[in-house]
Amino acid sequence: MRFLRSYAKSLLLWELLLGMRLTLRHFFSPKVTIRYPEEKTPKSPRYRGMLVLRRYPSGEERCIACKLCEAVCPALAITIDSEMREDGTRRTTRYDIDAFKCIYCGFCEEACPVDAIVASRFTEFHFEERGQQIMTKDVMLAMGDKLEPQIAADRAIENQYR
Amino acid sequence: MSDETVNIEINGEPLKARKGQMVIEVADDAGIRIPRFCYHKKLSVAANCRMCLVELEKAPKPMPACATPVGEGMKVYTQSPKALSAQKNTMEFLLINHPLDCPICDQGGECELQDLALGFGRGVSRYTEGKRVVSDPDLGPLISTDMTRCIHCTRCVRFTEEVAGYKELGATGRGEQMRIGTYIEQTVDHELSGNVIDLCPVGALNNKPFRFRGRAWEMTQHAQVSPHDPVGSNLWAHVLRGEFLRAVPRDNESINETWIADRDRYSNEGIYSEERVTTPLLRGKDGLQPVSWSEALEVAAKTLSDVIREHGADQLGALAAPGASVEEHFLFQALVRGLGSNNLDHRLGQVDFRSDGAEGHYPWFGITLEEIESLDGAMVIGSSLRKEAPMLAHRVRKAALNGTRVGLVNPAHYSYQFPTSGHLVRHGAELVTAAAEVVVALSEQLKASVPEEVQGLVKNVEPGAEARAIAEGLAAGESRWVMLGQLARSHPNWSELRALGLAAAGMANARFGVLSDGGNSAGAALAGVLPHRGPGAQAVKDAGLNAHEMFVSPRQAYLLLDCEPARDAWDSAAARDAMAGADKVIALASFMNEDLRQQADIVLPVGVYAESFGTRVNGEGRWQSSQGTVQPPGEARPAWKILRALGNVLELDGFEQMDPEEVLRDARAAIGEPGPGEENLDGVELAQPARPKGLWRLGEMPIYAVDALVRRSEPLQQTRDGRAAEARLAPADAEQLNVNDGDAVRVSLGNRGCRLLARIDTALPKGSVAVPVGLAETEGLGPRHGGVTVERI
Ligand code: SF4
Ligand code: SF4
Ligand code: SF4
Ligand code: FES
Repeated sequence: MRFLRSYAKSLLLWELLLGMRLTLRHFFSPKVTIRYPEEKTPKSPRYRGMLVLRRYPSGEERCIACKLCEAVCPALAITIDSEMREDGTRRTTRYDIDAFKCIYCGFCEEACPVDAIVASRFTEFHFEERGQQIMTKDVMLAMGDKLEPQIAADRAIENQYR
Repeated sequence: MSDETVNIEINGEPLKARKGQMVIEVADDAGIRIPRFCYHKKLSVAANCRMCLVELEKAPKPMPACATPVGEGMKVYTQSPKALSAQKNTMEFLLINHPLDCPICDQGGECELQDLALGFGRGVSRYTEGKRVVSDPDLGPLISTDMTRCIHCTRCVRFTEEVAGYKELGATGRGEQMRIGTYIEQTVDHELSGNVIDLCPVGALNNKPFRFRGRAWEMTQHAQVSPHDPVGSNLWAHVLRGEFLRAVPRDNESINETWIADRDRYSNEGIYSEERVTTPLLRGKDGLQPVSWSEALEVAAKTLSDVIREHGADQLGALAAPGASVEEHFLFQALVRGLGSNNLDHRLGQVDFRSDGAEGHYPWFGITLEEIESLDGAMVIGSSLRKEAPMLAHRVRKAALNGTRVGLVNPAHYSYQFPTSGHLVRHGAELVTAAAEVVVALSEQLKASVPEEVQGLVKNVEPGAEARAIAEGLAAGESRWVMLGQLARSHPNWSELRALGLAAAGMANARFGVLSDGGNSAGAALAGVLPHRGPGAQAVKDAGLNAHEMFVSPRQAYLLLDCEPARDAWDSAAARDAMAGADKVIALASFMNEDLRQQADIVLPVGVYAESFGTRVNGEGRWQSSQGTVQPPGEARPAWKILRALGNVLELDGFEQMDPEEVLRDARAAIGEPGPGEENLDGVELAQPARPKGLWRLGEMPIYAVDALVRRSEPLQQTRDGRAAEARLAPADAEQLNVNDGDAVRVSLGNRGCRLLARIDTALPKGSVAVPVGLAETEGLGPRHGGVTVERI
């Protein structure tokens, strides 16, 4: 009896039909392909893309060189030099993040007491020469300025849960 | 404190304690940690922070462990619910007014309050009212203040009062209004003041030059030994990415306890001075030009051999800084002796070398620093102790407060914050007579006869009351000590002063010691950087010229090891002229100066103390080695490497070492174990001192001008001691010269002179003017001690 059933199954290509059924189902289901770069996937306000440095609305950089981000970074991607600025405040003279070392864990953002270093939604960056992957303070501040509206909006949403 | 022991129990653990000990001390010894802020083992008990509250059986309330003496059968609980709740509540009170500053606070990461708040603080503050804000006093260039963070532990206040001996800081107001500051607007100037930085448990008092430059957790820590005075204080060098950012004390009970002097703490700032030499330089058509090492070494070697071929080895003079390491001194003397010259010295600040043959094998205190504390009587001749060796002065002060009777014989009334048995102050030319007075008084006191050799000096000397008091102090008790300071060593009558000091020591059966210049003069003497002795104090045939003779009878060529003759030499004018007149000057230098720029033919850049392995012998005869912790800048190299390479190019023997440890091994082998040697008066011709015309120049070496590195440390130069370019006059002389405080005066000596501001100083005896040496303003002026004229301009 068992022999007959298995003989019939293989003669009628039953398993093939099963496979074809799945194919047929996908044939009619809605499509998910995103036509990047014309179309983009939606991102969460918590998305961890390029790290940037923020300023206060007054234009003053937020970072106070506490070096907590540097200490917490598990990939040792951050390097900070600091000194006393003319006006007596604590500031960085160098703030580098090595984008090749960074694992985008977002710990630096968590550690920062003044929301200076944040992970933005921005992901479309590339480097053409060796050395460019060291993102300097100037680069990150400039990017921060550019992305500030989005960053501020994202932080506003996030703040509800903090 | 009595030796009686009592039995107590802490957290159920039975312990033995000495009667009179505080609970916290016993707990510390047993490794039981009780939280604390105001308690410090080296300071008196204040018990004002209340963080150390513990539960005592039978006591109705928690008690402060730092102020509760142990008693027989006492049962202490440091972790019981009652103790913990007391500690947590204290912490909550402390944090009421404490700012949330940690991210911008330099103490962050090494803060006692932060650490304890983690253990005893609440996660969320219940306090929502406004916090107190306090303005920050300006304490000068060394200490930064953020007084809002102060928790009123008063450690700083107790330090200035008890250890420094000078109440510079104090607490005014009470309760919420309490403020720590200087009572009147002024800076903190004591030479140990930097220690309040380490004492302050919070970020209220911090290291100003270091401000905001690094975090405790990212720096690496390396053991170092200070090269600035013969105490050889132990330091930790804190290094961030190859930069020596700050120095803090390394505990060593037998040397510096838990303190260091400001000179040791802030000299590292000089390392990064603009004046650092970073490439080998060779004199070309238009001044010194950078060249490669191989060229520089070739030329240096050729220059040396040419000079010797043309003028003879006798025409080479070699001078080394007394702060250089044993390795450097050893190779330096091997090089110079290898070239056939014995004109070799490290004692640039000395002029009287008549006792050379009778001196011990190396200059030392004659006693260990710890032993000073248990002395009964002591006498110090010719020393502004606090400025010459602050940590030694601290020991002497501790001893004096403990009952040691310390007498002083000085050319000016230096301030000591301790009771003395007498302070005999005499005009510089009469210092010998002053010492003689003490010797006579001592012989009367002890009914001993004055030694034969110094009979001539004590003839017709009638001791005054002060001398008698000093003699009485020295004669008291069993253990006694006589020490001669740097001012005595640089005195034109060093031999007489030394002879009288030795005579006093002999009569009183006291130990005899010397406070020499620099961090390693003992090592230099042992390594043989002396004209008359080779390594291990072996006498050499044909002694060469000493440091002073090398300048007054100029040589054709000079080889310098990190010294600046126009500032270091006893006769800076002769030194400058000799350098200018020399055919060739080869300088191994860490810093550039105007004289080198004009006079040097070859400059070889060397590393400073933290930049290479180095061994220094301190004033107790203690050998201390430390590793290089940072790289010398640019092309600069450790001096031992340069000397070794020079030796190789010159094809001399004994320059095969591959590393500095090997140099040290060779040096130790050559030195052997000579011991301190005997101090005697054999063959020393003594003479009556002459009194020169005019005012007596008292050439003090200011505390922040002792060596090339300290001179480049900007923060130290900005302190009150660093701005020492003043001519200090006795009131009587000022009146006679019609000079007011702050007037410009011209101090001249023959055809040389310099312009200084006058300061009227009651500490000076009539007829003396204190004109410091070692400063840019007074370099090249002339003899350290002797007659000068002062006029108002
Ligand atoms: S980015 Fe934030 S965490 Fe990093 S140093 Fe600046 S203030 Fe501190
Ligand atoms: S003193 Fe300590 S607790 Fe206070 S702000 Fe500074 S690091 Fe934080
Ligand atoms: S400044 Fe520092 S050491 Fe002085 S009382 Fe305040 S907390 Fe204590
Ligand atoms: S440590 Fe005991 S009260 Fe401060």
